[in-house]
Amino acid sequence: MADAKKPRAPFAPWDRRELPGLFSVEESARRVGAYKWCELKLFEALGGWIATVPELDVKMRLGAHCYKHAWHAELWHKRLPELREMNPDRLTVAPNEHMVCFIEALTEPEAPELTIEKLVGVYRVFIPHFISAYTFHLNNTSDITDAPTMRSLRFILQDEFEDWRDGEMLIQSLIETPAEVDRAAAHQARLEKILLAAGGITGSGTIGFSTPEHEGAIA
Amino acid sequence: MRKFFPVEDLARDERFNQITMNDRMADQRTVITTDSRPSRAANRIVPSRGDASDAARGLMHGIFVGEIQALEGAGRTCWDFTTGEEAPFELKLDMARQCWDEARHVEISVKLSDWMGSEIGEYAENTVLFQAACSNDPVLRLAGVNRALEGLAIDVFTTMKEFGEVAGDQYLEFAEDWMLADEVTHVKMGSDWLRKITEDDPERRKKALDFQSVVDKLFSYGGTRSESQESPIGLARRFRELAGFDDQEIDVIAKLSLAALEERKAAVLEAQAAHN
Repeated sequence: MADAKKPRAPFAPWDRRELPGLFSVEESARRVGAYKWCELKLFEALGGWIATVPELDVKMRLGAHCYKHAWHAELWHKRLPELREMNPDRLTVAPNEHMVCFIEALTEPEAPELTIEKLVGVYRVFIPHFISAYTFHLNNTSDITDAPTMRSLRFILQDEFEDWRDGEMLIQSLIETPAEVDRAAAHQARLEKILLAAGGITGSGTIGFSTPEHEGAIA
Repeated sequence: MRKFFPVEDLARDERFNQITMNDRMADQRTVITTDSRPSRAANRIVPSRGDASDAARGLMHGIFVGEIQALEGAGRTCWDFTTGEEAPFELKLDMARQCWDEARHVEISVKLSDWMGSEIGEYAENTVLFQAACSNDPVLRLAGVNRALEGLAIDVFTTMKEFGEVAGDQYLEFAEDWMLADEVTHVKMGSDWLRKITEDDPERRKKALDFQSVVDKLFSYGGTRSESQESPIGLARRFRELAGFDDQEIDVIAKLSLAALEERKAAVLEAQAAHN
């Protein structure tokens, strides 16, 4: 029988969680606000595109993914007041003007023959950048003080990886000619350059490296 | 990508044949029949009907294309309105959730159609559902789509579930019951948002309810759905109550549907007399 009076260490020997983290409350809130803005823009775009794509399987995938990103936006919306931001709308903003330009370019394709461009923008550019930003946050915040954010990040990352794979497989199944490979690559490059100028989905320093030299590179 | 997407531009592959409600109403084959048999006293889709299999397949295809348009309509509501200014963030979250549900309903409908022996594009696609989702006021969309059309979906799924139950088709009954659960949720979303957004705006609420009434009447065309056994689809009172309709609202739809059935019967007699 265990000795009820015997002292035990507050942290078990296998518990390697650490107190210090890279982000202050304010910085964490700023990032979470940017995450929410980006997830919001993404689910709006996915919803809008459903009526514009003729491929039935793509149409249905966009519907499913639209909800997932809306749920991510909701998780971040609920996290903001816990990070002392009582007006979540105040921080639900683009990190800079380049990110606004990115969303405009991402959502530009509408015609039914542009499904490849629509999917490339989301699954070869935007979602990989989400994965990078979320992974950086997860790996650098405090295991103890920011545990609620980390819990959301883990749920969301699971979705992002699944959606990334779904989208990439759809793209591969749609690309049938070398010309379409070029189309996909050209659109990806165009969008990546805008995101480079933005510095990532939370702006410069999204994944730790500040990139002031990149800011305005293609403005 | 544009805000507000016209119904004519809905993207489809070559299997689909789209028609409007006007096309359907103008098709004389819907009233002029060479069938000399006396008309049925009961048209409800039940296994004992001689053409039950064909009727059920046709209805299932109608459900399939209706789900596609419901998916597209909910998606457009996510995109067409500015978050916070024109539509609340939480309303958009509900519409995104509806996108996922409708996408699953399309998947279910494809599998059920296959199970019932029909193919995509075997029947025409009436695009009237998406038209109801094109209003420039999100509240009108909720009234027209979530309350009127998703309300009709409750009636349709209940009828199909009962059809599966009586026919001993557990596959059909199982799937319809699950879709029915989602539709009750969607109608409730519409009811809740309509009341919340128009709480201090009675004029806007009246406009939305009037629009719902127009859509309800449009979809009662020909008495396709009513409490009479002469209608192929019944009115699912219990599930409508769960979805936030009160007794008075259900009574109004019941009367509207019966009136549409009588109008249709008179029109058929008139058309047949003119033809003869």
